[in-house]
Amino acid sequence: MAYAYLFKYIIIGDTGVGKSCLLLQFTDKRFQPVHDLTIGVEFGARMITIDGKQIKLQIWDTAGQESFRSITRSYYRGAAGALLVYDITRRDTFNHLTTWLEDARQHSNSNMVIMLIGNKSDLESRREVKKEEGEAFAREHGLIFMETSAKTASNVEEAFINTAKEIYEKIQEGVFDINNEANGIKIGPQHAASNATLTGNQGGQQAGGGCC
Amino acid sequence: MIEGMLYVLSNHYQRYVLYFFYYAMNVYSAFCGIPFKSGVCSLHNITNNIFNTTFNVLFSGQKYRLEVGFQAMEHLINVLQTDRSDSEIIGYALDTLFNIVSNDLEEEEQDDLEEENPQKQVDDLGRQFTEIFIKQQENVTLLLTFLEEFDFQVRWPGVKLLTSLLKQQGPQVQQIILVSPMGVSRLMDLLADSREVIRNDGVLLLQQLTKSNAAIQKIVAFENAFERLLDIVTDEGNSDGGIVVEDCLLLLQNLLKNNNSNQNFFKEGSYIQRMKPWFEVGDDNSGWSAQKVTNLHLMLQLVRVLVSPTNPPGATSSCQKTMFHCGLLQQLCTILMATGVPADILTETINTVSEVIRGCQINQDYFASVNAPSNPPRSAIVVLLMSMVNERQPFVLRCAVLYCFQCFLYKNQKGQGEIVSTLLPSTIDATGNSVSAGQLLCGGLFSTDSLSNWCAAVALAHALQDNATLKEQLLRVQLATSIGNPPVSLLQQCTNILSQGDKIDRRGSKVQTRVGLLMLLCTWLSDCPIAVTHFLHNSANIPFLTGQIAENLGEEEQLVQGLCALLLGICIYYNDNSLENCRKEKLKQLIEKRIGKENFIEKLGFISKHELYSKAAQKPQPSFSSADHMMFDHEFTKLVKELEGIITKAIYKSSEEDKQEEEVKKTLEQHDNIVTHYKKVIREQDRQLEELKQKVNTLKSQNEQLQTAVTQQMSQIQQHKDQYNLLKVQLGKDNQHHSSHSDMLQMNGIQPEEISKLRQEIEELKNKHEVLQGQLREKDSVIENMKSLQSETGRTEQSSQITAGLEHANELHRELEALRIQIQSQSSDISKLQSEKQELLQQMNTASVPALGDSTAVIAAKNSELEGRLLQEIKELKSEVKALSEEKALLKQHLDSSNSTAAVLQDEKSKLQQEVSESKKEQDDLLVLLADQDQKIFALKNKLKELGQPVEDEDDIESGDQADEDEEEDGEEED
Ligand SMILES: Nc1nc2c(ncn2[C@@H]2O[C@H](COP(=O)(O)OP(=O)(O)O)[C@@H](O)[C@H]2O)c(=O)[nH]1
Ligand SMILES: [Mg+2]
Repeated sequence: MAYAYLFKYIIIGDTGVGKSCLLLQFTDKRFQPVHDLTIGVEFGARMITIDGKQIKLQIWDTAGQESFRSITRSYYRGAAGALLVYDITRRDTFNHLTTWLEDARQHSNSNMVIMLIGNKSDLESRREVKKEEGEAFAREHGLIFMETSAKTASNVEEAFINTAKEIYEKIQEGVFDINNEANGIKIGPQHAASNATLTGNQGGQQAGGGCC
Repeated sequence: MIEGMLYVLSNHYQRYVLYFFYYAMNVYSAFCGIPFKSGVCSLHNITNNIFNTTFNVLFSGQKYRLEVGFQAMEHLINVLQTDRSDSEIIGYALDTLFNIVSNDLEEEEQDDLEEENPQKQVDDLGRQFTEIFIKQQENVTLLLTFLEEFDFQVRWPGVKLLTSLLKQQGPQVQQIILVSPMGVSRLMDLLADSREVIRNDGVLLLQQLTKSNAAIQKIVAFENAFERLLDIVTDEGNSDGGIVVEDCLLLLQNLLKNNNSNQNFFKEGSYIQRMKPWFEVGDDNSGWSAQKVTNLHLMLQLVRVLVSPTNPPGATSSCQKTMFHCGLLQQLCTILMATGVPADILTETINTVSEVIRGCQINQDYFASVNAPSNPPRSAIVVLLMSMVNERQPFVLRCAVLYCFQCFLYKNQKGQGEIVSTLLPSTIDATGNSVSAGQLLCGGLFSTDSLSNWCAAVALAHALQDNATLKEQLLRVQLATSIGNPPVSLLQQCTNILSQGDKIDRRGSKVQTRVGLLMLLCTWLSDCPIAVTHFLHNSANIPFLTGQIAENLGEEEQLVQGLCALLLGICIYYNDNSLENCRKEKLKQLIEKRIGKENFIEKLGFISKHELYSKAAQKPQPSFSSADHMMFDHEFTKLVKELEGIITKAIYKSSEEDKQEEEVKKTLEQHDNIVTHYKKVIREQDRQLEELKQKVNTLKSQNEQLQTAVTQQMSQIQQHKDQYNLLKVQLGKDNQHHSSHSDMLQMNGIQPEEISKLRQEIEELKNKHEVLQGQLREKDSVIENMKSLQSETGRTEQSSQITAGLEHANELHRELEALRIQIQSQSSDISKLQSEKQELLQQMNTASVPALGDSTAVIAAKNSELEGRLLQEIKELKSEVKALSEEKALLKQHLDSSNSTAAVLQDEKSKLQQEVSESKKEQDDLLVLLADQDQKIFALKNKLKELGQPVEDEDDIESGDQADEDEEEDGEEED
């Protein structure tokens, strides 16, 4: 399918916080109570619309365990967005955020948009981390914040879409170099073709023909 | 000498010694048959001769080689660590290390090709050197940094060295690269190098790097490898490109094979669409170079990787659909029907098409519609089946066609029906002009070529797979045999061939034919009691089977025996006992008597124990190393797995257990019937539900429409209501103001003026009152005067004053009357206006409720205008009313007081009148007295005169005249 932009995301955070479930809820609109432990990295994709434009999201769901950390690190550089997830019913996952954030900041490109997610908001009775704490952490580190539930799908769409909106705004502001695919952003065939038509008359025809 | 040389390595002759090593290694390579690869550098001062001699000394024996290599490596690594800025020397060091490490690679690769050579090289020097090198992980990390160097002298040997390391010790080197920060990602940059040599060797490096390591494969894919590689393939001219295309395709295969995540990414990245042009090879046949054949082969394999039957079902089916929608399948079918395509490409294309359509209805439907460009046009299926039953076609091609046919029928009831229907009496083309699939299959089944027998039998079995309806329908098929003989059923013909198999002269393996037919019969009869009955109906069949099983035959025949046992087992298990002679227990007794239970089970076990069985069970594609190995069909192995246990149980069961089971079966059947009944009911209800749902939906939408209309109207009504309420509130306020004078102070706007006006009026009235009171006081004083005067003075004056007072009172009365009339007329005006207002309000109300149509806005505007006007009028009227009623009240007060004054005056007047009349009476009395006395006086005077006495009487007569006049006046007054 034709898209205007393609964004690459990664999902990071401690194991068991619900990263794979968030991805599954977003791509397949379903929840799997018993999800396999992610080995290394798994891929998922979905199309969304922002500002009337089709945007393809390619998402890499990573394994949270320390042993996979070096693999996970390979994905930071090429991602335009990251969802940093903790579990509101497990304080330790919140406490580890700083480590995750340091890792992400160190290995990613400086423009990567990071969305902080407090997952499992459906388990209010077992909550260990207050929403205000999440908000405060996000404010302190310049992140966007949201509480989600991969189980009820609450805020799941919003989390992925708001991240994309932020990236999209950065593109509009010219912060991102969209011609460098290493940033995790790619212009779609449609878009590229129309750009070509604007800049060069002869080139435009060629580009238009190559678009499927 | 060696020691000495190695010693020099560490001093300032280092460079020369390094050159020496470099050449030595290259020469050594030459000796071992390794081509001299590096052409980058040349050394002028030293002649090859010297090196040759030195070399001979150095590497004459294995243990020296290891020794020298080991010691040299240490120093070379040292160079890498300490001389990083000297790119020339780094380049030599890397190249020398490459030569050391790739020591035995080429030999080994050759060995790999010949699988026969099982002996691993004991003295695998290259591997040992690699181990030494990677023992220090920093060495690999260091090498990775050299790969980032742009300098060709450094980068290129670096790429080659790392490739060699990976070839020698893949898993370990992969692990080191994986844990070094961005290790994999940085290697991806090689694909972007503008120098083709590096880019191409980069592809080879990535091939090694991605071998059997899913984590690395994913990272490489994440780093846009698909895009890059597909771009290279396109730029190089797709299948017309050189070996670079081949290398890229191999790397793509590494990335995709058995890597679901990457396959998903590939599909989601719309890269399948980019494969389509690969297969636009056209009909012009401008030649098929070996490279092109290789490239195309790899391209086809890449398609197959994405739709492999071993992938998760969901993944495969979504790729299949994409391949149809982007036209890739159509392109492949064009190659399928093209002429001049090399056989191996054609074969692989058939295999590829097979897997693209397998179990995917739209693709299968499309495939059924493909026609060959022949005259007359034939369907692709027919053309392919012709090849399958054609002995002259290559074996692999025939296998591919069978696979294609199987994939076409897999989970395709529609396709199965179409194939079987070409065999049914009603649909057979009597003219015989065109060959049908059914005819070809029958032809194959009964041809003298065992391979054709086998393929046709398996193909037909696939047309019946999991399809009870078709199993029954196929029983109707009758075959014409030799002239004069009656037609024979297809089922019978199969068993005839089976039993007479030995008598017919065939090419190929007799076992193959019989195995094929037995597999067909087993598939046909399983789960189809009617077919079992048909089979048992021929009394020759059971004796044949028992005979086959009972006999003690050679190993060759064991498989046939096993299959016969399976068929007999099916005849027992799926027996509905409709034939008295062949009831379950009878057949079981027969087994016991003629074969023995144990023996039977053992024979049955031959099937799954067969060496070819497990291979066929692995994957759906029929692939056999030779035609002789063509024995088992994949689907059939599933059937065996399913039935083996069931039949074993059935054989061991006693007849009582059988009976019980029969009963259970019956009740189950009843249950089944009930269930079917309910299923029907449920289906019917489902349908109704669906209908109702649709109705509900339409009603819902209607309801929604109505609701929105209602909401609109409601909001309009609400608006009107609000306006009305506003009016009411204003009205209410006015009323309040009207009713309570105490609130006057809170009033606003025009009202203060009114107040002052009223005040003025009041003032005026007060003044009037004052005047009236003044008049009254005057009157009072007059009355007082009159009273005081009364006694002494004449009373006429008084009464005239009273008359004047009365007249004044009358005047006041008249005035009051006039005012009263005025008030009356005003209040009638008010009531008129009030009723008018009421009317208007009513009009307004009636207007606002029904007028909800399109003109509501206009009406609303009118209404509000009217209301505004009305409001204004009402306001004015109200204030008028208020003023008037105030005035009226005041006037009333005045009237009252005036009235009371008048009454007092009247009272006084009547008193006065009384007094006057009393006074008159007194006066009259006095007058009478006076007249008496006058007469007496006159008489007395007369007497005196008579008596002569003089008397004065003039004044008295005068006063007597005046009293007469008064008398007259009083009389008038009294009337
Ligand atoms: N109640 C609830 N459970 C969740 C939610 N998200 C994930 N889980 C559960 O948490 C466990 C770990 O989820 P998983 O996605 O595998 O975590 P990952 O290791 O971060 O990928 C699973 O048992 C999920 O069923 C959520 O939003 N609500
Ligand atoms: Mg996970």
